[in-house]
Amino acid sequence: MNQNGRFSQVFNILFCAFMLAPIVVVMGVSLTPEGFLEFPPSGISLRWYQAILDNSDFIEAAWISLKLGIVAATVASVLAVPAALAIGQGKFKGREALQALFLSPLMVPTVVLGIAFLRFLSLFGLNGTFTGLVLCHAIIITPFILRLVLAAVVGLDRTVDRAAESLGASNWTIFRRITLPSILPGVIGGWVLAFITSFDELTVTVFIVNPATTTLPVRMFSHITQTTDPLVASVSALTVIFTIILMVAVDRMYGLDRLLIGEGKK
Amino acid sequence: MAFLEAHGLTKTYGETNAVDNLTFTVEKGSFVSLLGPSGCGKTTTLQMIAGFEDPTMGKIKLAGRDLSAIPARDRGLGIVFQSYALFMHMTVAENVAFGLEMRNVDKAERKRRVADALELVHLGHLANRYPRAMSGGQRQRVALARALVIEPELLLLDEPLSNLDAKLREEMQLELRRIQREAGVTTLMVTHDQSEALAMSDRVLVMEKGRLQQEDSPFEVYERPRTSFVSTFLGKSNNFEAELKSVTPTASQLLIAGRGLTGPSVNLKPGTVEVAVRPERIEIVDAADAVITGTVRERIFLGAQWMMNVATPLGDMLVIRRNAGRREAEIGDTVHLSWAPEHMRILPLNEVAA
Repeated sequence: MNQNGRFSQVFNILFCAFMLAPIVVVMGVSLTPEGFLEFPPSGISLRWYQAILDNSDFIEAAWISLKLGIVAATVASVLAVPAALAIGQGKFKGREALQALFLSPLMVPTVVLGIAFLRFLSLFGLNGTFTGLVLCHAIIITPFILRLVLAAVVGLDRTVDRAAESLGASNWTIFRRITLPSILPGVIGGWVLAFITSFDELTVTVFIVNPATTTLPVRMFSHITQTTDPLVASVSALTVIFTIILMVAVDRMYGLDRLLIGEGKK
Repeated sequence: MAFLEAHGLTKTYGETNAVDNLTFTVEKGSFVSLLGPSGCGKTTTLQMIAGFEDPTMGKIKLAGRDLSAIPARDRGLGIVFQSYALFMHMTVAENVAFGLEMRNVDKAERKRRVADALELVHLGHLANRYPRAMSGGQRQRVALARALVIEPELLLLDEPLSNLDAKLREEMQLELRRIQREAGVTTLMVTHDQSEALAMSDRVLVMEKGRLQQEDSPFEVYERPRTSFVSTFLGKSNNFEAELKSVTPTASQLLIAGRGLTGPSVNLKPGTVEVAVRPERIEIVDAADAVITGTVRERIFLGAQWMMNVATPLGDMLVIRRNAGRREAEIGDTVHLSWAPEHMRILPLNEVAA
């Protein structure tokens, strides 16, 4: 059943095309046998995928990004879950202020954040270190987790906590056995979103990396400032595929609609 | 012997007393209802007994122990919440086992007791289901099994039937009573539904505005309401003002709409009083025997009964007549009403209505 009119159908198709076209172009370019960017490709070749394997800089950067994403998303989750519980269930003054504080990294321009982090990390001698990167990324991605966890927390029935309490559960047990399992889809969805955000974060990261901690997006950025070979296209294509796999996995487990829109798939 | 005792229990929110100097006792093994309209303080009372709210004043004792210093998790009470508050990510068996796990009951024993509890509520075959896949009535039984499996000294029921549809509610009234009797657990139920309270309880505590209005057996609260509020909250009642002329130990003299009438004795001083008569106790009689005469304004046929609204000098009166297979008075007819003196309840004048 299609309830949309013809005009909105055309609009939807154009919108999807607009969203997907760059990805299609990147995929196409990555398959070229030539030594320059061309679209459509004149043939099909995995030459530039082969080239990634020969380029240890990219492999290393990918590993750093992967580790950084995992650690930063985990650190941010550990911060965001208690914060979401306090904001969503607590009754204290300054709840709104606390929420605004946690969401504020979304509102500050990333370039400004980058410069601020650069100064800040220099003060503690963490500039260019992995720890420094984790700290900065955790701050940037906390809002993503917080919002999804908060949506899950707001839907919780507090009497369930009371039921557990009346049965003898301590606060920690209630959190571990009752609350956390109930909000787990939100936490995992938030973690994945945060991981992806960290994985392709460039603007802030460019300020705070050194050659030993260069992440994949920074490596790609510096690569295209020097050459324009299709290597970046094949790396991008792999990143896209990796992200899609991750999203499909989350969708299978918990349902993306439910995580991102907050509607139940029973 | 009093098992649960509340003494001068008071809960103040800001300026208002949600619960005002409440004193009552519950006998061991009995089923007692706290009945009242919403906002009467019955739920707050339950919360204080459960340990989720601290009393502003007063004491609660269970089996002689003062509960005030004991946190909710250590009181060992079984509670069934209005929303059932099941753990949705756990199976029925896991839900029921939770309280036993918290008590470190070993696995074999746990399994046995969970099975027993589920058997008691007739849900043995659904042990591995998730609550999501169950009906309201089944969820309620799970909640009940979860509360009973820890063998609580006291079972608290917070509006346990209000989320069920009418037919299921009647079934569950009987079922709940059976389970309570089999488990032999002292039970305190909070409800706003008078028929539920009457049907299920050994004793009913009627509350209004934080105060205890009356404590009696269901029959007594219905038959001998002691306040105007109780007379109208439980069942239907025709309440009107009358003049109490004199009282003797055996009878009283009343003046109702200018007519002298003998009523039952009452512990009140002469003056203006309120008289309550149940609609099913009013009879339609010949003009000579009438207490009051009026005109039928509305008439509804209910199958087993007729319900009539009669306009009289005392105000509109509700009359319920058993359907005896005869024709009844029509709308617009003049009818003469009367009732036996012992069916009048003479109550202190309700300050709110006056």
